Amino acid sequence: MFLPSVLAASSFVEVRPGLIFWTIVTFVIVLLVLRAKAWGPILSLVEEREKQISNAIESAKRERAEAEKLLADQKTAIAEARREAAETTRRVQADMEKFRDELMAKSRKEAEELKLSARREIEDQKAKAIAEVRSMAVDLAMEVAGKLMNERMDDAKHRALAEQFVQGLPGATSATATRRSA
Amino acid sequence: MRKAMVLFACLFAGTVWASEQHGEEHGATPQGVHGVANEDQDAEGDDVAGYILHHVSDSNEYEFEVPLSRNHIPIHLPRILIPFHEGACTPVADTHGGHGEVYPSLGQGCLDLSITKHTVMMWLAALLLIGALMIWSNRDKTKLVPRGAGANLFEMLVLFVRDELAIKNIGKEEGPRYVPYLLTAFFFILFMNLLGLFPWMATATGNIAITCGLALCTFFVTQAAGIRAAGIGGYLKHLTGGVAPWLWPIMIPVEFLGLFTKPFALTIRLFANMLAGHIVIFFLLGLIFMLRNPAVALVSVPFAFGIYLLELFVAFVQAYVFTMLSALFIGMSVAMGHHDDHHHEGGESHDHGKAHHLG
Repeated sequence: MFLPSVLAASSFVEVRPGLIFWTIVTFVIVLLVLRAKAWGPILSLVEEREKQISNAIESAKRERAEAEKLLADQKTAIAEARREAAETTRRVQADMEKFRDELMAKSRKEAEELKLSARREIEDQKAKAIAEVRSMAVDLAMEVAGKLMNERMDDAKHRALAEQFVQGLPGATSATATRRSA
Repeated sequence: MRKAMVLFACLFAGTVWASEQHGEEHGATPQGVHGVANEDQDAEGDDVAGYILHHVSDSNEYEFEVPLSRNHIPIHLPRILIPFHEGACTPVADTHGGHGEVYPSLGQGCLDLSITKHTVMMWLAALLLIGALMIWSNRDKTKLVPRGAGANLFEMLVLFVRDELAIKNIGKEEGPRYVPYLLTAFFFILFMNLLGLFPWMATATGNIAITCGLALCTFFVTQAAGIRAAGIGGYLKHLTGGVAPWLWPIMIPVEFLGLFTKPFALTIRLFANMLAGHIVIFFLLGLIFMLRNPAVALVSVPFAFGIYLLELFVAFVQAYVFTMLSALFIGMSVAMGHHDDHHHEGGESHDHGKAHHLG
């Protein structure tokens, strides 16, 4: 009951060429207006934004990598510095040690030398004193002996005899004994 | 949601009053609220059907239906007739025995460029579209961040059309060239579809001539894309289907027919979808008057409301489908040029859309 009337009336399946014409005209006008006024700007804006975002991401990545590299550099630099400082300290300490040892050794040697020379001096002086004492003892003994014998003797012959006698005496300790005995 | 309900209420009210007044015009006492039935069921049914057909079809006048009264204010739109020869456009009596005179058709040498209801709706949609984009598009290059719901919504849709439709179907290299066309088609159809859901408005896309016009635009763009991609020679060669010459008499008509089935499918799909939804809404509401019982409204009004919401969805879906298929056809045309390249150079770039696999 509806269908026949629908089909009979079917004015909506009638294609009006005028309307097609107007549609195309309107569409083309809308296309041109919007392309100039809306799509172009919107699309360029969107592209601009996309470019900026990708640039920002890129630069962020790059900066991050750079920062990481810098951080690594810093870390190695710090480690290097620390190592150098430790090295220097150690070297200085070693130097100090060596210097002190040297100084000690030198002063010890000097003291030793001083001691040695002092001993030598003492030895020399002792020997000299002993010799003096001996010669004095000889003279004294000669004088004592001459006086005791009351007799003039050949000086040289008696002296040799006395010296031979003294020679026969035992060492340093015996000198005093000699003197005492004399 | 509340806005949609208000809109729907307006639409519903308009329909009810219009039906009443329409009934009166034909000498019948209004049904439903007045409770007096003079006509039999069939006649009333016919009346509702007639009203619906009148409402969804194109006419040479725009009727402003005044709410809360049975009047409507007809605004007669200008008739523009271009005769191809002398006296071709003189009105002749309607052979179907309809209302008065009709003008001769194009075949008889008269081009009818009259402004009709749907033409006006189309222009209104175009103006609304341009106005909305002027207001809400983000065109200030210094501010790259979109502001406001309108600008964000438009940008989202623009990006959707560009990325999901143009670049996916046509390819990264050729896609951006056709983005303005696809965007215009999408938004123009969307605005026409949505305009039809407002009270006192009509769906321009529910007219086969308008969808045909839009499909013709896609057809021209598709062919231009094919010729641009393959050159005239390649384009004509593609029409032969790339088979041996003795098969050409079979292939050429087939390929040639194939050129026109695509826009034809676009035409019918959009037209039928938009028309059908409106007819369903009207019939659900018309049911109240056909069954002559106000209680029917308790059922049919919620149903019509549901269909209305569905229509809102369909308005977007059909705009999307039309644009998507346009992009697909353009992609196939563009791919046609690249296929020849592949034969000669091997694969130089595989950065094309999926249309290459389909084409």
